[in-house]
Amino acid sequence: MTVRSPTDSTPAAGIDSASSSISPMTNPSPFVTLISSDGFEFHVRRSAACVSGTIRRMLNTRSNFSESVTGVCHLENLNAMVLEKVVEYFYYNEKHKDSRDVPDMEIPSELCLELLMAAEYLDT
Amino acid sequence: MPSTLAPRHTRSINALAARRPATNAIRGPQSALTDFLASHNISAHQIHQEHQRRLREAQQQAAQEAGEADENKENESDPGDEALERKKRKRKEEKAIMKIKQSKEFKRRKFEEKNKKRQKGAGDDDDDGDYDDDSIARNMLYKKAQPMPGQFENCEICEKRFTVTAYSKTGPEGGLLCTKCSKELGKEEKKQQPKKRGPQKGKRWQRENDRMMGDVKPGAKSLVDICVRKVVANIADIEEFGDLPQTLLDRLSQVLSQKRALDPRTLEFFLQADSSKITIYDAAKLETDDFEKIFSFMPELEDVNLRNAGQMKDEVLLYMLDHNPKIRHLQLGAANLITNKCWLQLFQKQGPKLESFKTCNLDAALDDSAIEALVHHCPNLQRLKLKKCWQTTERSIKCLTSLPSIHHLSLSICPDTSADTLSTLITTIGTPLETLSLESFHNADDTTLTAIHGTCTKLAKLRFTNNAICTDAGFASLFSNWPNPAIPTIDLCENRDIDNQNPDGPAETPIGLASMGFQALMTHSGSRLEKLNVKACRHISHGALLRVFDHEKHTYPVLRDLDLSFVAPVDEVVVTAIFRSCPKLEKLAIFGCNQVRGRDVRIPAGVAVIGMMDAQESVVVEGGWERG
Repeated sequence: MTVRSPTDSTPAAGIDSASSSISPMTNPSPFVTLISSDGFEFHVRRSAACVSGTIRRMLNTRSNFSESVTGVCHLENLNAMVLEKVVEYFYYNEKHKDSRDVPDMEIPSELCLELLMAAEYLDT
Repeated sequence: MPSTLAPRHTRSINALAARRPATNAIRGPQSALTDFLASHNISAHQIHQEHQRRLREAQQQAAQEAGEADENKENESDPGDEALERKKRKRKEEKAIMKIKQSKEFKRRKFEEKNKKRQKGAGDDDDDGDYDDDSIARNMLYKKAQPMPGQFENCEICEKRFTVTAYSKTGPEGGLLCTKCSKELGKEEKKQQPKKRGPQKGKRWQRENDRMMGDVKPGAKSLVDICVRKVVANIADIEEFGDLPQTLLDRLSQVLSQKRALDPRTLEFFLQADSSKITIYDAAKLETDDFEKIFSFMPELEDVNLRNAGQMKDEVLLYMLDHNPKIRHLQLGAANLITNKCWLQLFQKQGPKLESFKTCNLDAALDDSAIEALVHHCPNLQRLKLKKCWQTTERSIKCLTSLPSIHHLSLSICPDTSADTLSTLITTIGTPLETLSLESFHNADDTTLTAIHGTCTKLAKLRFTNNAICTDAGFASLFSNWPNPAIPTIDLCENRDIDNQNPDGPAETPIGLASMGFQALMTHSGSRLEKLNVKACRHISHGALLRVFDHEKHTYPVLRDLDLSFVAPVDEVVVTAIFRSCPKLEKLAIFGCNQVRGRDVRIPAGVAVIGMMDAQESVVVEGGWERG
């Protein structure tokens, strides 16, 4: 995951070393970009982002949403703080896909209600 | 007493006279043991004295040694051969330090010091190791000798004089502490140790909770679940939920109710002025004011569900009738303070609008006249659930026949209702029914089942439980050639013969849901069955189970939840067959199936087996059959 702040003038740092693991999707890019309401960009592995039903449907190539073409999702109702935690969950979920008795992810308690709303919206 | 001793002891007393006080001295009362010992020339006083003397001698010896060391010190001030003396002394000291360094006590101290350092998090760790060793050893060499047990000493903290024991603790400055101060020091040390077991216990509870709910899917919990748990854990710090969607509010209400955390304060989170629905699963802590707050704050209410509303009174219900004219769905649990008169008023005023009415656990009110009013005033009622309303009689059930448009009917009242009444009820209103739940009607018989077979054609949920009259043939004919499509939810638990003398039931004509009935049931509904409960239907045979769960002939593509508790013939073979023929199975309950041993069963990942004999085994679940 790479993050680019809205004030950052340099182009996005690109794809990190994990890009060698090709996603099973037929889409050319194994990475997608999630943009928070305050303009932060998160580059996330597509397979991880598709943990969210909402994002999965956005990116479905058959749906022909503009997101599925560009690979960029504007999530207008999530700020960067929440989206960062959501992205952390995406990777946490993917990491523990097949393990048992997974420890719950740490969530700061002041964020839990906002995150709950986000989780409901994203269908995760 | 010595003065009254019998003459035969006189001689020995004389022999001891030198050490003991005069034999005719006046003494206080003595115990029988002292008396007896005295008669054998044994004196506790003497033993004590000798012990003290030995202690004194030991101390003197120690003091002498210390004195010698002092002498050595004095010697060094001698101007002649000063350098030589210093060398000698240094060698001596080094020797002593070497000796100390090899002792166990030294190793222990060094370990403690290291730990202390690590706790402080000091950056300089190993470079001063040697210097440390020397200083520790030197400290040990020159430290004042510890007082021996049994001696008096002044406490280092409170300065009180106390007896030194083996358990006396060392204070911060190296002196000894009295019993009281030692205890306090111990307490503080305990406090400083972090508690480790707390969260683990909670985690285990959560895991078992998930397992009982049939959720053992591998992988992380959903983010919604994690957040709901986190919110509930921090409920004390939360001031409001904000605009949460209804589904989340419902989930939060469930979890908060489960934790008994739904009280007047947390209730406020659920009050949303523009919402049309409120669901409180545990309203036991709410009182009149709280209920009235719900009804005044949410004027748009259409769907009210308050369970465990034990403190709900007439005035609350009347208040609701005044403020919430839109209510269409009403569910009240255990509302025992509401009187018959008030129930009548509810049906009279709100009746025409009511589409569903559910209530349970009413002991004091809601009698036949109230049910008659319900039937009379609620022509649009589509759902009716009456469970454990003990004031009702067969008359209520008879009058339910005039409910024309009911789609969902659940009854668990008046167990003595005759079979005729039930058959009439079903034949009259059964055609549009989608849900039929008849619990604990002891007199129901095969005619009831025949009535269901002949009338109901739209059922999606069937419950018929706790009966010992209906026969296996009756169940078999219910499910044979039934125009009703396959039913997703079936609960036929506790349909079995009850006879202590003959636990297997009559062999010729089996009672309850037995082999034939079970096979007919699975043939009829297997294709769409999601949830099946045949708990305690113990006449189902092993052969029938194997025939039903034969994965080569039948599979049950959507069966998720299966309860086979107390069906005695279930064994490892049957359980394995079930895993193979039910690819979507999530939860299997086998309480009281004593032939199933955890160690012999391979449970596929994602299936929660509960109630197995070796409970520990069933927690450890392995991957299993290829499922798909």
